[in-house]
Amino acid sequence: MTDLAVDQPDKGRRLVVTDLSTIPAEPSEDILYTHKVSVVASARNLWAHREIMYTLAERDFRVQYKQAALGVAWAVLSPVATLLIFVVVFSNSSVKAAFPTQGIPYALYTFVGILCWSFFSQALGNGGTSLLTNKALLAKTQFPRECFPLETMLVTALNTVISWIPLALLFVIFGRAPKLATIWVPLFMVVEVVFAAGITLAVSSLIIQMRDLQQVLPIIISLGIFITPVIWPFSWVPVHYHLFGGTEVNGHWIGGVWVNLQAVYGFFNPLGPIINSVRQTMLLGHNPSLWPLTTATIGALCYLTFGYRIFKRYEVNFADIA
Amino acid sequence: MPTLPNGSIEVEHVWKKFRSDKTVPRFYDQVTRLTRRVTDRSKPGYRWVLKDVNFTVSPGESLALIGINGSGKTTLLKILSQVTYQTAGRCTVAGRIGALLSVTSGLHPDLNGRENIFLYGAVLGMGREDIRRKFDDIVDFAELNDAIDRQVKFYSLGMQMRLGFSIAAFLEPDVLLVDEVLAVGDANFQQKCLKRIGEIVRDGTTLLYVSHDLASVEASCERAVWLSDAVVRAAGPTKDVVTMYRTAVEENSTLLNTKDGVVEVLKAELRATDGGQLRSECESEVRLVLNAPESAMASFYIGISQGTAFPMFVIDHQATMPEGDFEIVCKLGYLPLPKGHYSLWTAITGHPKGKKDPYLPWQPVVSFEAFGPDRMEPPEGVMALTPVYVGATWEVR
Repeated sequence: MTDLAVDQPDKGRRLVVTDLSTIPAEPSEDILYTHKVSVVASARNLWAHREIMYTLAERDFRVQYKQAALGVAWAVLSPVATLLIFVVVFSNSSVKAAFPTQGIPYALYTFVGILCWSFFSQALGNGGTSLLTNKALLAKTQFPRECFPLETMLVTALNTVISWIPLALLFVIFGRAPKLATIWVPLFMVVEVVFAAGITLAVSSLIIQMRDLQQVLPIIISLGIFITPVIWPFSWVPVHYHLFGGTEVNGHWIGGVWVNLQAVYGFFNPLGPIINSVRQTMLLGHNPSLWPLTTATIGALCYLTFGYRIFKRYEVNFADIA
Repeated sequence: MPTLPNGSIEVEHVWKKFRSDKTVPRFYDQVTRLTRRVTDRSKPGYRWVLKDVNFTVSPGESLALIGINGSGKTTLLKILSQVTYQTAGRCTVAGRIGALLSVTSGLHPDLNGRENIFLYGAVLGMGREDIRRKFDDIVDFAELNDAIDRQVKFYSLGMQMRLGFSIAAFLEPDVLLVDEVLAVGDANFQQKCLKRIGEIVRDGTTLLYVSHDLASVEASCERAVWLSDAVVRAAGPTKDVVTMYRTAVEENSTLLNTKDGVVEVLKAELRATDGGQLRSECESEVRLVLNAPESAMASFYIGISQGTAFPMFVIDHQATMPEGDFEIVCKLGYLPLPKGHYSLWTAITGHPKGKKDPYLPWQPVVSFEAFGPDRMEPPEGVMALTPVYVGATWEVR
């Protein structure tokens, strides 16, 4: 092995024919390759390759509108169309009555939720299959594999930013203005991006090995909109949920053990507190509920860490099975 | 572990296995894998594509990986470029790697040439500023002119290959890994690519070149490693390794030599007319003793090749083939061969009535050794595919 290089000055200068009988049937246990990469080291490597990510995102963004006569205008037009449907459908008063929207027009109330949700669902939908759609590159070029799902998320983010423009339109239609507390919204979006990145990384690395998931994913995503407070208010999840102990007085529990169910929900589905917080700040001008938002942030970070670890663990096989 | 100087490659005991059954795991496989784990009756199906591969390359050296299809060349290259990972062993490449594993896979059909240069350049590891600086050189090299603003889907395959290669040609890595990229593209561009690869090597870049085109390997690499059936069979100076490889390929093809034609080969030889050794430029003759089932008009072909089924030259002759045993003697005015191991191939075209098979399909009938001076080397970076003219007289009796 190495001694070849050191001990023989004429190495490579003469013909060496391998004695085939010296090759064992299996490699010895001690040289088996184990793929161990720390999350921090990979993140650093990813940062070094960020330019590739931007370039791929640029590719996808350009290709998206390449042969459309209206071009990039579609980025604005399609969310406006969605919005129009909203205004028409949800100006129906019977729908309005069903939800306590604290005096906010139902269309506005829901549209905010839809915008937050659509970023997540598109990021997951496109990012989840990104390793498959980029098969050719995956099997032939070398740079951090997480560039693919993250690059897709970047494109989705860009599209989402554009699709927030019609929201301004909606404010005008209803003769309202976003409250000052809107300045908090970018922070909530960061939490959402962290959460979406974690899920997308994990899902994309699983889909490439088990293509069945590719069929299941859209179903799960379309179910997700119902367990997330997109078209219903987050206040339906009780803040104080009585577990045990205490005494019941007139249908109310006094004392005993309680749990903030919104906070628990937030840990598992950070989107709940995020959407709620956007509504609280932008539409109502309130402070966001602190506990759910905190657990949501912790939850999102956990998703990212575990998602990234799963991705890194399975990336050994990507090129072989792509 | 001492750090290697930039541009070195070290491959130590590298093993790689692939699943040998289906490429996509199905639910059924998952279940059987579980039951196997419980019962432990048999091992899951896999095969080794690389077994205990060792070699080192010093900075600035050029090494070729040769071998037939499926011998593990590309897999090894993919491991070196970290596109995939080895099952066991260690693989170290010091310095910036430029890997051109496929010329067109990074190109997006919907983008134009200009956009694609930035895309593929970035994917291969070039910075944006870097690409901007080299942009004009790349377009010039690819000979694309104003097609550069056209969408790549309207390019011919040749243009796509030229674009892809040109981007890679300006990578300036410490280690350049190239896989079989010259296979397509016209002869002029191939020559240009070889020249460019030569320049890159002269500038001190380490080159690892995978190909089964032996002419281009000989033209661009000083050393070669021959992979066969997942193992390194031989390593050393390109000429020696290539010669060994050729001999082996030929032995393989001789094994294929069965009596699948209608005409039977009873005896075949190539000898010097004066009865001595076969020497370069000596007068020589081919003697074939054959048995034909019927008399017919036929074309006789004789060719000499080095290893492959592609002959270095072919001579043919039209004659009436007699029924039964007959003899063909073909006098070669002079043997245009340098020292080496060759094989004689022959074929008789035309086919018997009611059959589709030719009288004798193209096949090696005998191998021989020629003595004389070594082959003269073409200038660096030039492929030696010179056609040979051989005058000959034929006799069928």
